[in-house]
Amino acid sequence: MDDVPGDLPEAAARRFSEGAFTSGLTVPDFAACLQMGLEPAGYVQGFCVMKWGSWQFYPGAGAYGGYGPSVGSTHGGYSESWQCPHGFVSAEHRVWGQNYEQPWVEEAWANGFTSAYERLIEEASALGAHGIVGLVDTSAPLGDLGVLEFRVQGTAVKVRDGPPPADGRPWTTYLAGQRLAKLIEAGYMPVSIAATVASVRVWASCITAYLTEGTNPGWTSQAVGAEIEQTARAQMAVRRIARERVRSQLGGDSLHGASMGTRERELGEGDADLECILRGNRVRRFKEFDPMPAPRPTVRLS
Amino acid sequence: MTGPAPLAADRPDGSAGDATHGDIRKEMLAAARSLARSAPSPAAAMTSDLSIDEELTLHSIGWEPIELVYGVSLHSIPMGVWNWGQGEITYASSAFARSFAAATDRIHHECARSGGHGVVGVHVERTVDRHHIGVALTGTAVRPVGAKKLPTADSVFVSDLSGRDFTLLQGSGWAPLGLAAGASFVYAPRRSMGMAMKQTSQNVELTNFTEAMYTARESAMERMQRSALAMRGTGVVEVKVTEGPMEFAHHAVGFSAYGTVIRLVAGQHRNLAPRMVLSLDDPVRGVEATALRGT
Repeated sequence: MDDVPGDLPEAAARRFSEGAFTSGLTVPDFAACLQMGLEPAGYVQGFCVMKWGSWQFYPGAGAYGGYGPSVGSTHGGYSESWQCPHGFVSAEHRVWGQNYEQPWVEEAWANGFTSAYERLIEEASALGAHGIVGLVDTSAPLGDLGVLEFRVQGTAVKVRDGPPPADGRPWTTYLAGQRLAKLIEAGYMPVSIAATVASVRVWASCITAYLTEGTNPGWTSQAVGAEIEQTARAQMAVRRIARERVRSQLGGDSLHGASMGTRERELGEGDADLECILRGNRVRRFKEFDPMPAPRPTVRLS
Repeated sequence: MTGPAPLAADRPDGSAGDATHGDIRKEMLAAARSLARSAPSPAAAMTSDLSIDEELTLHSIGWEPIELVYGVSLHSIPMGVWNWGQGEITYASSAFARSFAAATDRIHHECARSGGHGVVGVHVERTVDRHHIGVALTGTAVRPVGAKKLPTADSVFVSDLSGRDFTLLQGSGWAPLGLAAGASFVYAPRRSMGMAMKQTSQNVELTNFTEAMYTARESAMERMQRSALAMRGTGVVEVKVTEGPMEFAHHAVGFSAYGTVIRLVAGQHRNLAPRMVLSLDDPVRGVEATALRGT
């Protein structure tokens, strides 16, 4: 504990130096880790509370023409525009609509998550850990203050007789116990967890607003009961952005055991905020795949 | 730092009682050392939402995951269709059908683009709102190990079967063909004033709701079956249903069903002949504290 980082909480440094280990592992996971030669070093945590600041408007350049999307990119992000096909109707009429990525939301989320994650890594490094297993990450609003708390927790482990981690950073994984053992036996080594968010705002065009509210858009190619194309494309885009962003974090590694969660906040008249969080285990193949024999079906008698 | 007390794994021979434990420790060491090497080329990367068990079982029959894929669609429902009426609410039923078809078409293309031959473990999300119905499909594209891309997206299969179930199905000579779905939304007709008053203090069946549920169910199941036949399937497995009145219109009931269409591709069904296993785990018997008080 001589090289305790300066900003590690004093209580954490004291806890780490007292001898007994702590862990978030269940007893079966603990036993499986011991069999693999993984020794728990300590329960490590990272937190970050983020205040959501002002929401910026993010206009993009729209193209003009008949009704339909024009794909463009502003500030490197996703953007599509829809032009009203009706001509002048009234001052309140939505003459254009746009789907656009909200990088400031994504960056705020990434800052919060990364800060919490880095603090977790810092604690594990202070313990001399080689990796962190059984990682759990959550985020939850604190009251209704526009504040989001990020929590990342896991059990730091040392690989018995193992080398120090490459580049000094412990590897991390959501897996522990038997599932981790099976991953290793299958020829994959955890590198790190991978998590990202994509955020897309739907600024509804008149057609989208009409269709979402169930009223007649008065445009022959978009009859009542038609697909709400702008929203559908935004739903596809938010997933694609999340997947591409995670892929950019992988290098040549793979994402395993991913979970893709989406959330929609309806803002009325077709307007909506879409969010997609994609997370999983970044793993690297360390040996050629050795296929197991076809499993033998069993029936359990009880 | 103090680690855990030495257990069986600390035996002088490095084993913990059998060869497997010694092997897994060596594997772990080899894996940890591999991180010092450079990452493979980006072309080798894959994304998957399958569990490690599912991936292992897939590999055991020569298949591999390659990409996390999805398809989403939502269709508008005109204002006023949920008001009181009679018969089927065709706008809602067809909005569901078209949303399911478009979402399936998109996941087909996603799968084909990534080089997959099919999608397994598809998670189906359905949203039925007053003015729109949406369907979102998410799953993992898979292919026989090292296989080339299929020429068209039409040849791709989509299935909500898990990796394990897909493996079992293949092993017994069957193949998934696609997802079949059917939905129907029906008005539960009003009771007459006299009937409503007469039933106020009675425990009676509300036949208008029962009949509406039956109508919706039969239409939805028939549509799903018709969809399976259109795929030239023999049957549908793992059918999941959702039914009940709409939250926003209690006088309307909906029934939707979906499942994986399968067909026998082997000469005949292969019996898997499962082995019987008798678990020796003792059931844990808890003590109910209330019993101690004689209550």
